[in-house]
Amino acid sequence: MLRAVARRRQRAAASLPNRDAAMKGTTAMVVSHASPGAPRFLPRAALADLVTLLQDEGFTVVGPTVVDGVVMYRPIDSPDDLPHGVNDVQQRGTYRLAEGDPELTFEFASGPDSPKRFLFPPQQQLMQFRVQGEGFEVTAGPPDVPKIALLGVRPCDLAAIRVQDRVFGQDDPATFRCESEPWYEQAREQTLLVAVNCTSPGGNCFCVSWGTGPEAHEGFDLSLTELRDGFICRAGSPRGKELAAKLPLREPTRTELDLAELLMNRACEHMGRALDTASVKELLEQKREDSHWDEVAQRCLSCGNCTMVCPTCFCSTVTDVTDLSGEETTRVRSWESCFTHQFSYTVAGPGRDSLRSRYRHWLRHKLCTWQDQFGVSGCVGCGRCITWCPVGIDITQEVQALRNDSTSLPAPIAPACAFSSEGSPP
Amino acid sequence: MIAHVDVDGRPEPICGMDQWMPAPARILAVQTENFNTRTFRLQFVDPVLREQFRFAPGQFNMLYAPGVGEAAISISSDPARPGVIDHTIRVVGSVTRAVDAAGPGGLVGLRGPFGKPWPMKQMEGHNLVIVAGGIGLAPLRPVIYSILNERDRYRRVVLLYGCRTPEDRLYAHELEQWEDRGAIQVLVTVDNATAAWTGPVGVVTNLLKRLRVSAQETIVLVCGPKILNRVAAWKFLQLHVPPSRVYVSLERNMNCGFGRCGHCQYDKFFVCRDGPVFCFADIADVFAKEEI
Repeated sequence: MLRAVARRRQRAAASLPNRDAAMKGTTAMVVSHASPGAPRFLPRAALADLVTLLQDEGFTVVGPTVVDGVVMYRPIDSPDDLPHGVNDVQQRGTYRLAEGDPELTFEFASGPDSPKRFLFPPQQQLMQFRVQGEGFEVTAGPPDVPKIALLGVRPCDLAAIRVQDRVFGQDDPATFRCESEPWYEQAREQTLLVAVNCTSPGGNCFCVSWGTGPEAHEGFDLSLTELRDGFICRAGSPRGKELAAKLPLREPTRTELDLAELLMNRACEHMGRALDTASVKELLEQKREDSHWDEVAQRCLSCGNCTMVCPTCFCSTVTDVTDLSGEETTRVRSWESCFTHQFSYTVAGPGRDSLRSRYRHWLRHKLCTWQDQFGVSGCVGCGRCITWCPVGIDITQEVQALRNDSTSLPAPIAPACAFSSEGSPP
Repeated sequence: MIAHVDVDGRPEPICGMDQWMPAPARILAVQTENFNTRTFRLQFVDPVLREQFRFAPGQFNMLYAPGVGEAAISISSDPARPGVIDHTIRVVGSVTRAVDAAGPGGLVGLRGPFGKPWPMKQMEGHNLVIVAGGIGLAPLRPVIYSILNERDRYRRVVLLYGCRTPEDRLYAHELEQWEDRGAIQVLVTVDNATAAWTGPVGVVTNLLKRLRVSAQETIVLVCGPKILNRVAAWKFLQLHVPPSRVYVSLERNMNCGFGRCGHCQYDKFFVCRDGPVFCFADIADVFAKEEI
């Protein structure tokens, strides 16, 4: 227990200065334990060596693959399984794969899948037990944490992992035993992260607005920037350095380094969307009541897609599943969406009955109250909620509309509307 | 960031062998309170847990019916006797029905206690007005027990209790006892009187007319349905009780109990961890809003 707390503190201390640097958008390297190592060059043919090396170290290598017309993370045997020459077209409510540059392997942006699925599974058995005499006899615990190497993690998703670290209390020693998440902690420690910087952002990407991309500065074991003949490769952790030492890396040429920098700069200029993040928290603090929420509610279908594809959304429900005899019970934790009616249901009815209030809760949580809860924004700018919204609701546009819209609704009519935090009502 | 200044003073929750594993408990006795409400007296099966378990007034447990699920239920017994735990429950949902069906001797599970308690320390040396509506009396009963245990720590104490009919009163026998002992003043009002009822009829806030409240030295505790919470808080603010001395206990959908599952969010708060007891000053800007 104490060891876990110390580890968490260490990780928190190591990651903070770099996060600040990344937030400011500086590319200056901060010399610290977690700072990326010197850039090296990994020839394209040696990508197979990396996969083999990871497999030899006992990892199941998981990478982007084309499944049913979308890019999903799946176990891969070799780089042949990666989506070579695949590009994607992402617009509001639209995702289509397209033919890309046949010489490039990572020319697409985020698909519906994110690394969240491997650290916080969509559905997970917590334990299995039966009522036995005077108590509950536990017959099985959670599944073993798989040893996974995630290849091709995008910088926005690395940022999302750091956000979830805070949600699951990894940066902050738990006060009580029940608040610690041993499965998440183990998965987080065990999972190896090979980041791929974004050279061709998608139509809905806006990581630059949050300073979370297109280049990863921390939180990875290895990072790759794809060039035509290979990759600029950086190690971001002691484990990454060990791996790098076993790879056929060479010194990059000046041209290669310049090209990588150029690609990053170009990616910054080619963000499909932009979000005015300045004072967005304050904006949403003031916009609890606004006619724009009614307007969004006319379009929103309350399907919950945005919450299912979001790499930071953490809401869950634990349910009991019994066998037919009712004797053996499995407790299962599943992702849950705040867009469902039952999410806030009590005997008095749903806490958030109207669609307006559910969309408002989601947006205000992401951009405003998340900061109160975890000291960090709940949005990383991956754009998935825009792509996978069936009616193309665009978080960046909704914020802009709230900014422009000055026609706020009057306060609700109730004696209680006279409440103020300052003193007694008139 | 939301400050959790008081978190270290809370008792460690008991969660079996895992954060999600309820600890087995037996139903020792069942007391019928009214047509759909019963009080279940529970005791941990494990004698070590019986010794370990502590709670503060206003905290709740996740009560577990094996194979069915959990419900957040406030603890309504005396915190000075944590070896037995009372839960007063309206039998209205799948979990509560299953607990009810288990009956005396039945096996259930408990995780807890969770949540922020009533401000017992701050209440010392103050006049207290306790406002309860319906089953809202349950999380306030530990407050009354604590006051009775150490009566001289508090000044004048008034309980205002409203329920639908005289038959719906919770702890009817105890209400009379508390009154008879003269330790606290108890005023009960009902929405619908019966022939035998000689007490007041009407909403609970009407009882305020019968009181002289000195705003400066009074702390108000409110727990009831949403409308009662609102009107009661508003009335006391009108009487110039400062928002920092009005406390309200809120009800939300809860699943985990420790601020992880997201269900109970109320603006920036996780009601299970930052509440269920809130100081009015902290929630003033959202309290009157619908569907937060």
